[in-house]
Amino acid sequence: MSLDRETAPRQPVIKCSSVYKIFGDNANRMLREANGNVDAKAFQDAGCVVGVNNASFEVHKGEMLVVMGLSGSGKSTLLRCISRLTETTSGDIHIDGEDLLAMSNRQLIELRRNKMGMVFQSFALLPHKTVLENIAFPLQVKGMSTKDSMTRAMEMVELVSLDGRQNYFPRQLSGGQQQRVGIARSLAVEPDIWFLDEPFSALDPLIRKEMQDEFLRLQGVLHKTILFVTHDFSEALRLADRIAIMKDGIIEQLDTPANIVLKPATEYVRKFTEEVPREKVLKIKSVMDPLDNTEEFSDLKVSQNAIIETVAESVLSEKKAVAVVDDNGNVVGSIHASNMLYILFGKDDTTKVGG
Amino acid sequence: MTKSLHKLALGVAAAALMAPSAWAEDSAEPIVIPTHNWSSQVVMAYVIGGIFESLGDNVEYVPADTQAVYEAIRIGDVTISHEVWQSTFGASFYNAMAKGGLIDAGTHSAATLEEMGVPQYVIDDNLCPGLPNWEALKDCPEVFATADSEGKGRWLEGPQSWHGDLMPTRLAALGLGDKYVVKFAGGADAIWAELASAKKEGRGIITFNWTPNFTDAEGFVFIEFPPYKDGCRVADGGDGSCGSPKGWLKKAANYKFPKTHPAAYSAFAKMSFSSTDIGQMAALVDIDKMSHQDAATKWLADHEDVWKPFTQ
Amino acid sequence: MGYLKKHPRLAQFTLLLIAFFLLVAVVTPSETNVLWRLPSLLAPLPGEINAFAEHLMFDWFPVQVYDSELKEYEQSALLREVTRGFSRSVLFLIEFIREILVGGVKTIVAFTGWQFIRENPWAMWPALPWTVVISGAMILGYTLSGRGLALLAGLALAYISIFGQWHPAMETLSFVLVAAPISIFLGLILGVSAYKSRVVAATLKPLLNIAQTMPHFSYLVPVTVFFGVGDHAGAIATIIFATPPMIRLTLLGLQNVPVEVVEAGMMCGSSDRQILLKVLVPTARRDILIGVNQVIMQCLAMAVIASFIGAKGLGFNLLLALNQLRIGQALELGICIVLIAVVLDKLSLAWANKQTDYFADLSFVERNKHSLLFLAVFAICVVLAFLGSVIFKGGINYLYLIPHNKGITTEWFWQAGVDWMIDSWYSSLQGFNRGLIVNVLQPMKNAYLGMPVSATFLLVMGVGYIVGGIRSALIVGGFLLFIALTEWWDRALITMYMASFAVIVSVTIGLIVGSVAAQNSLASKVALLVCDTLQTFPSFIYLIPVIMLFGVTDTSVLIAVIIYATIPATRYTIEGIRSVPPSLREAGMMSGATGLQRWISIDLPLAFPHIMLGVNQTVIFALFMVIIGAMIGTDDLGQYILKALSDKQGIGNGLMLGLCVAFIGLAVDHLIHTWAAERKALLGLT
Repeated sequence: MSLDRETAPRQPVIKCSSVYKIFGDNANRMLREANGNVDAKAFQDAGCVVGVNNASFEVHKGEMLVVMGLSGSGKSTLLRCISRLTETTSGDIHIDGEDLLAMSNRQLIELRRNKMGMVFQSFALLPHKTVLENIAFPLQVKGMSTKDSMTRAMEMVELVSLDGRQNYFPRQLSGGQQQRVGIARSLAVEPDIWFLDEPFSALDPLIRKEMQDEFLRLQGVLHKTILFVTHDFSEALRLADRIAIMKDGIIEQLDTPANIVLKPATEYVRKFTEEVPREKVLKIKSVMDPLDNTEEFSDLKVSQNAIIETVAESVLSEKKAVAVVDDNGNVVGSIHASNMLYILFGKDDTTKVGG
Repeated sequence: MTKSLHKLALGVAAAALMAPSAWAEDSAEPIVIPTHNWSSQVVMAYVIGGIFESLGDNVEYVPADTQAVYEAIRIGDVTISHEVWQSTFGASFYNAMAKGGLIDAGTHSAATLEEMGVPQYVIDDNLCPGLPNWEALKDCPEVFATADSEGKGRWLEGPQSWHGDLMPTRLAALGLGDKYVVKFAGGADAIWAELASAKKEGRGIITFNWTPNFTDAEGFVFIEFPPYKDGCRVADGGDGSCGSPKGWLKKAANYKFPKTHPAAYSAFAKMSFSSTDIGQMAALVDIDKMSHQDAATKWLADHEDVWKPFTQ
Repeated sequence: MGYLKKHPRLAQFTLLLIAFFLLVAVVTPSETNVLWRLPSLLAPLPGEINAFAEHLMFDWFPVQVYDSELKEYEQSALLREVTRGFSRSVLFLIEFIREILVGGVKTIVAFTGWQFIRENPWAMWPALPWTVVISGAMILGYTLSGRGLALLAGLALAYISIFGQWHPAMETLSFVLVAAPISIFLGLILGVSAYKSRVVAATLKPLLNIAQTMPHFSYLVPVTVFFGVGDHAGAIATIIFATPPMIRLTLLGLQNVPVEVVEAGMMCGSSDRQILLKVLVPTARRDILIGVNQVIMQCLAMAVIASFIGAKGLGFNLLLALNQLRIGQALELGICIVLIAVVLDKLSLAWANKQTDYFADLSFVERNKHSLLFLAVFAICVVLAFLGSVIFKGGINYLYLIPHNKGITTEWFWQAGVDWMIDSWYSSLQGFNRGLIVNVLQPMKNAYLGMPVSATFLLVMGVGYIVGGIRSALIVGGFLLFIALTEWWDRALITMYMASFAVIVSVTIGLIVGSVAAQNSLASKVALLVCDTLQTFPSFIYLIPVIMLFGVTDTSVLIAVIIYATIPATRYTIEGIRSVPPSLREAGMMSGATGLQRWISIDLPLAFPHIMLGVNQTVIFALFMVIIGAMIGTDDLGQYILKALSDKQGIGNGLMLGLCVAFIGLAVDHLIHTWAAERKALLGLT
């Protein structure tokens, strides 16, 4: 998978080690006494709420990590720790190798002005500013001139296909349109890291699907490092390079969508996967065999991003292995009809998966 | 700050140059004249202002509450007051004088009377035979009864701030206590409104009023109580069974006024308007419906013989 | 009994009432009986407050001040010089704006001196011709919003000019243009600091409560002592009165800004200042603009009262007109006040909502076309004014300034209306008046005065306990205790009697009118517009016709109070019912409820918490107006507040009496808020 090829020598864009976030007056003391062994129940009895419990992970350049969990699972809190909207109780967070928690207020502002963008569930647009002014806001905050910021904002308006509505106020837009503004605003400063906090949760299912497609299209062009929070498991499967499933502040499992679906690590994760028709959510990329140059391919080529269901029938009708290609038409792997049968009808524990 | 320093320098220079005559001319600082909410007072304010201006003084007018104005004069925010009515403002006037800062600038010649009375038609229509003698009141309380007087006659008195319990004690002392009650109005407006309404209906009404006033034109008769003698009031140790004395109409000034504006003060101290003068001023506004400024201009033009002597 | 068990509150209230009447029956009226009346332990307090204020003002920290007129040093006090300095700067601002509008010499004097004016009689700032001001206002309205606002501004100012009220109106305007921005600015700053600091918020809260419930008359004397008389004193009193709602609404607006919006601002890399100025304040703008609207309304509502302490303009002329019983003239002046309020309100709103077009590539002329237009109009109007001085003889140049009372007037019409009203209604109303006084008002007043103080405490604290537990009981008890320990307990009882009668009637009227109007959006709009108008329309004007009809009686006072206090009752009922979720009303209709059933079982209960806030406002409005009713003639706290204007210890008495009124209001406010909050929680309307 893309991961394997890109990671090794590089330093992660986001690196969290043993991050804790405890809410409550004597959170620090409680955490010290717990000695790294935090029991949510015991903390609650002492008047503390555990938001994030010992989270450690890395996100690499160009990767999209989706944090999935139900409400109260701590996923948004984790996101806010990494964007430092809330102060972390304990642990280390590094952004591009720099210690986020040690940054001064000024450094933090600089970091946000240049490296970070964030999209919010409730859109969080400024009600008194027009679409254009909202998008230009982060640029003006940086001190860019009105003329330049407006020109740049107009480009962003076009990017999210809102041309013609740049002088509307947020209240005059539909939810989907408002979130496009939110997305445009978060991208206006060309950030390296993109935080999205349940960006599509407040939208109607149809619009949500449309926005997800739009989002994938954008990411296809921009290749940002993304931390995406959602409570919608199928959304996580659709979008993620890797998924972190959270419950009660603990990351239950962090893995590729395919592994999550096919090999749930805990009972809690398995419950999510049970109802998921895997052929409808998994991409070819997640089940293909690594590239073997000795192999002979049939004439059919399938995209690595194709959902299994959409190509299953044609793959099954081929005798030879089918080549899997990336967006540029390069062959990146292969898939056999026999393998496809496993995926469609096989049992979890025997399924052979790639990645 | 710079302004006063500048003035200081100027002042020192001026004093050095012409030490003895420095006091001869009035200061250019404006003389602040208060305006209250009745016509004769406002017209007279503009009349006095006009007289000061004829002396070359600057004048400024400021609306002020009739009672609070004495404190303002004392502190120096207002320079003069030209209609200090004995019974209504006497208390505030003397309070301010006792604290210091306010001086008595003489008395107008106008003979004033502040007393309970009835509109002319009450006499003409013989609503209560025997009036204006007070004894007549004994026989016709019902003529002056109102909705809230429980069948008794009602005396409409000014606000309590004017003369406190003077009228209730007088009622009791005259033996009218079981036939009449006193109602305190909130202000002069309320009295005029009641008078106007009563006149339309030809109703009987007893109210506090004074002369000279605009009501003089339409006719207003003051009730003749037993004459005032020193010490007849309860506050002075008497039993209270007496009417009001002929009152004075005083002028007040801030204590610095004679020093800063000697010429204007000398004119102000000499100023003495008669009941006729005051009546004329009020009539220009109340009867002829002129604006207060216009009325003052007209009065000044028509009565140079009255006011010119004050300035000499 | 079963019924009482099901409704424990009802049982508690019944018990409370029984105990109350027992006390009323048992306690004997006697001045020495503490169950009947408490001793006035606080009686010396006003004197002490007074002595303290005077000490601060005249003796504390003596300084030598040079009197340039007398050419000698004089002893003064530091505070006095400080407050006088402040007064002078406020006055300078007012005079400056005023002289731009109507001309004068004060601004020149401020930079030179009176001697300069005396020596240079030419040195006088000319007035702007009224035509310039009107065109300016129209162009401004057009620039900010469009044709509608331009028309409104033009018509309103033309009315003022044509009716000959230009000069006083501009005097009032100049003082509002100073008082309103200062109030808005102070309100914003204090609101923001209360938002940022819990300590500031906790300190401000009681002060705000008192400032909003204390009758304005009671702080007129302190203001004159500290700041003198004149336009500046009027402006300062107005600022004291108009700032609290601005603070309150700023704080409310900031607290309602969604967390995510602030986070979005932070993620854009905003500094703390940028967060405050570019995110928080603009996002809270809806509430802040309501605050601005309130400030403008309050400033013009103070126009009349400010003239008691020296503010020139419409308010003073209105009092003069009333004193001459010229109702028509007073009415025209009152309309001018309302018009100024409306135009200022709309202009400020349009300014706040103004949009910029960033991509219109405009030339200099296009970008500045409105300013250029104004310059052109300015030139034309000035030329016209010069021509006018040639055309018009008799010293009045109608193209320059239409002098006071030289415009057209409809006075005779209103006068005839008032005359007709008295001629045709007076006698028929006498029966009603007498019946009301004899059968309702006097028994009610006597009942209030016949309450032993112990019974009053039992009743009020009991209600407090039932509504909000021991804490509420102690709070309302505390408020009451303060009043009971002054010498004015009986006066306060009379104030309570008048306020409670007026509140009952106002709320009844408000509920009915409001409910009817709320059925239809057009009717609601009209009713709200009437409420707005009545709120700025000076209440003094209707005092006179009411006295003519009902005499100097409690009926007159109560009618004036009810007219004023019905405004919030109606407004909040409309707003409350209009905000009932339509789905619930539809559910009601689908279950076959008739209009009346729906009103009783859906509209009223759901709108109840909001309506209760309206009742709360009604109480406060009623208390305010009962105090102003002292101008008709009452024997309650208001009469004593008026009297304090001439008292030796006016500061102390005024403030203490004001506090008594404020505490009555705050006790009721506390009970209603606690109750409404509980109801709200029950209905799940947080």
